[in-house]
Amino acid sequence: MLEQHLVNGVILGAGYALIAVGLTLVYGILEVVNFAHGELYMVGAYAALSLTLAGAPYGWAAPAAVLAVGAVGWVAYRCAIRPTLGRPYEAAILATLAVSIIVQNGARLIWTATPREVPSPLAYQVVEIGTVAVTSQQLLVLGVAVAAFGGLHLLIFHTRMGRAVRACAQSRDGCLMVGVDVRRVAAVTVVIGGALAGLAGVAMAPVYNISPTMGTGAVFKAFAVVIIGGMGNVLGAAAVGLALGLLESLVGGYFTLTARDAVGFLGMIGVLLLRPQGLFARRVRA
Amino acid sequence: MRWLAGLALGAAVAAPFVLSSDYALHLAVMACVYLILASSLNLVMGHGGLLSLAHPAFFGAGAYAAALLAIRGAPFLAGLAAALALAAAAGAAVGLPALRLSRHAFVMVTLSVTLLFQILALNWTTVTRGPMGIPGIPLPALLGVTIATKTQFYYLMLALALACIASVVVVTRSPAGRALMAVRESDVLAAALGINPLRYRLQAFVIAAAWAGAAGAGYAHYISIVDPSVFDFYWMESLLVMVILGGPGSVAGVAAAAVVFTAVPEWLRVSQDLRMVLYGAILLAAILFLPEGLSGWLAARRTARALRAEQARA
Repeated sequence: MLEQHLVNGVILGAGYALIAVGLTLVYGILEVVNFAHGELYMVGAYAALSLTLAGAPYGWAAPAAVLAVGAVGWVAYRCAIRPTLGRPYEAAILATLAVSIIVQNGARLIWTATPREVPSPLAYQVVEIGTVAVTSQQLLVLGVAVAAFGGLHLLIFHTRMGRAVRACAQSRDGCLMVGVDVRRVAAVTVVIGGALAGLAGVAMAPVYNISPTMGTGAVFKAFAVVIIGGMGNVLGAAAVGLALGLLESLVGGYFTLTARDAVGFLGMIGVLLLRPQGLFARRVRA
Repeated sequence: MRWLAGLALGAAVAAPFVLSSDYALHLAVMACVYLILASSLNLVMGHGGLLSLAHPAFFGAGAYAAALLAIRGAPFLAGLAAALALAAAAGAAVGLPALRLSRHAFVMVTLSVTLLFQILALNWTTVTRGPMGIPGIPLPALLGVTIATKTQFYYLMLALALACIASVVVVTRSPAGRALMAVRESDVLAAALGINPLRYRLQAFVIAAAWAGAAGAGYAHYISIVDPSVFDFYWMESLLVMVILGGPGSVAGVAAAAVVFTAVPEWLRVSQDLRMVLYGAILLAAILFLPEGLSGWLAARRTARALRAEQARA
């Protein structure tokens, strides 16, 4: 049983890491907490649902849904983040919170509050490795997360844009001085961060039921992960996300499901009391 | 301004004689609940400059405390006191660690607290009965009078709301209130003057939490059932619209906005989901175009007009 809980935990943690990394990346570069981040995760899941219901096979619906989430992320950037850059910190928070409210309740109007299931052929293929059984869909979540982190690493450390992103994280004023288009970097960061959340939504939708409020639950976990990992620290968020998934799976397996939901929060409180700056000192920057 | 406040008070006292329908009276009671919540949140957000999303947590904690005591036969005032005390204690327990964090992390933690309280209310079934809630909360009795009609409830909640607004005014005009606003402007400068930022922020946070708890107690008795929906983000959204459009830091502006935004959505008669979407759009527009709320906008216009008159004379 232990192996099964560990494997489930790693897969759950990979999803958490995907969501939290996008959130912490945007914070590290713009010093903006995107409160609409969880909704991008939700939109990813629902976009996949709508596309599969329209007849597209999951293999086509999934990448299209991720693109759709990227577009929504860009709209959120234009409406809420770009106009509030340079304003007091709460302006961006409130603006993204407003976007989150609009998107979440808009989704409820479109798709109703009833939980839905996203059909995927992979969800019913069970792979048995020794005593552990996982579905192909769960393996896909893991694969997607690994591929996404690899892609992110390539983008940030091996492209011109990535160099601009790292430069912005170090000093936005310095970037302006040498002619880096900071607004473009900001837009790219928000879209990439959002697409990572959307990717998590698309990949995890067939594993769990989806509902318009799923973004709130996801962002609740992502906040805990980002704070524990040190705000703006991408590696910290990835590591803590994975750890949280493992811990939740073990607690849920051996104690109660309620205790499972409290793990992240208790961890956050503990870290806040002992190390307010997070487990990994605030070393942003991918 | 003073005559305007007097007029508003007169209108508030006379309201039950003018409002004919039960439904209008119900809205008046809810307006009082929102007055308490928005005015106390304004102390934290407007005067303290702290964006706290934990207000529904304290509201709900107060509601559950009052409900649990009342169904066991405790008198109303004891339940009210317990709700105040529990909310204040929760405020201190949340505020002490959270106020030491960066401003961004503070907002995230306060939102998490509200979500956690809802999870707790849903799952701690031995005490809260989970999603079924606690029905059958008895009518409150004060000085031998049972508060049964909507008009009686209205005066009870109005008294609480006036006490809350008065306490916010007293606090903001006290040395502690001045210190709080100094910390809002710059905690570094305030600390250089010997003002401990944490102390004044914590005070404001705990006072606001206590008032939210009191509002919860009154609300619980009024609707006679408490369930986990008292922690819904719906409350927070309405409160944000009220504080931001009213003008953070403006006691009168927020009070006016609380009354207006209790009534307006009812007249719009739209579904709950569409109302939330509209509120979100209003909130977004207010943040982008009216950062200091309507009262701030009016004040800026007054200043501009005075300036023009001055220039015309010169």
